[in-house]
Amino acid sequence: MSGALFSFFGSGAPIAMAAAVVALVASVVFLRTRNFLYDALALAATQAGFVLLAAALAAAVIWTHATARSWWQWDTRLTTALLCGLVYAAYLMLRRAIEEPTERATSAAVVSIFAFLDAPLAAIAIAWWRARRALPPEGAAPPGWSATAGVPAFAMLLAAVAMTVILLRREERRRALDAERRAALTL
Amino acid sequence: MGFLRQVWVVTMKDLRAEIRTKEAINASLAFSIVILLLFSFAFDPTDETMRGLSGGLLWIVFAFAGTLMLNRSFARELPNDCLDALVAAPIPTSALFLGKCLANYVLVLAVELVSLPVFGIFYNVHWARQIPELLLVLMLGSWALTVIGTIFSALTVNIKLREVMLPMLTYPILIPALMSAMQLTTALVGGTPINSDTIDSLKMLVGFDVIFTAVSLVLVETVLVG
Repeated sequence: MSGALFSFFGSGAPIAMAAAVVALVASVVFLRTRNFLYDALALAATQAGFVLLAAALAAAVIWTHATARSWWQWDTRLTTALLCGLVYAAYLMLRRAIEEPTERATSAAVVSIFAFLDAPLAAIAIAWWRARRALPPEGAAPPGWSATAGVPAFAMLLAAVAMTVILLRREERRRALDAERRAALTL
Repeated sequence: MGFLRQVWVVTMKDLRAEIRTKEAINASLAFSIVILLLFSFAFDPTDETMRGLSGGLLWIVFAFAGTLMLNRSFARELPNDCLDALVAAPIPTSALFLGKCLANYVLVLAVELVSLPVFGIFYNVHWARQIPELLLVLMLGSWALTVIGTIFSALTVNIKLREVMLPMLTYPILIPALMSAMQLTTALVGGTPINSDTIDSLKMLVGFDVIFTAVSLVLVETVLVG
């Protein structure tokens, strides 16, 4: 049971990380080409990664409770994952706050670059901070979890890709609608 | 005009405007003193607890008061379309950004240098045992706060929810720098010199400053011009 829960975090978090890389590359390409397809891709990858990260964090909290009888132990990986979640939540909130499409896309791309650069620094800072505190020891992965984690990890990867494609198409459709609405308003 | 001269002109313009109106610095100072006072109701301000909390407490105050100031940095240019005039001025946007950054830096440092003795008085902390090291940490930490705050102040200047979005964006990104500054300040205020335990935090602060200053200078053109 705890192995299955752990594999949720163990494979969910790396896939979320991969989504962040996709979002970063898409953001940089958008800034260079100004092709809105890449902006939509950055948004879709961030949203998919965010959902996976949230699910992985929830699984990790339950797993910590099951093995250590406490919900949150300031584990280095979990704290870093939570911080990344907060940074990308700010990204998603910023997108909702800006009306004008071009401004929204450029601002979001800039925030995406900052967020990606911040993550490794945060991971290092949190590891150092934790090493100097008298906190309970880090939860160790249950032995042999990776042997059975292949199938769920693959399933999660597929889910992430599917989610990205669906969200990408939704964003594209929404932008097309929005463009028509704007054109109608200027008539 | 050389690059440094352009930066200087923008810095002095901002500082002069602020010193004449005092709209941000007064609010920021009053705010930091109110938070310092509030904290003393949150826990027993005994010497023992203060030794472990001082860094965290101070930097939370600095971060909150700093955001108040940074919110105004670009918002001040909105009336009469001053921001458009600044962007259209024949200087590189990086000079404009650095100038604004320096002006904010001076103001943030001024608020910090006032709240530090106030903190020492309220909580009976002998904070002045290692002044040069503490000043170094203050300067490095405030630069991190100012660079991130100024670039996001430029980014959020046209948003209706500006006041909400700026802290939402800056605090999570600032966490590595704030964390290191808190650890260093706690150690220094407690009388421990910078040793092999805390030198890592100092490196993190320097690294954070260098990385994000460079990235901000590269991206500020995109943020301001689009």
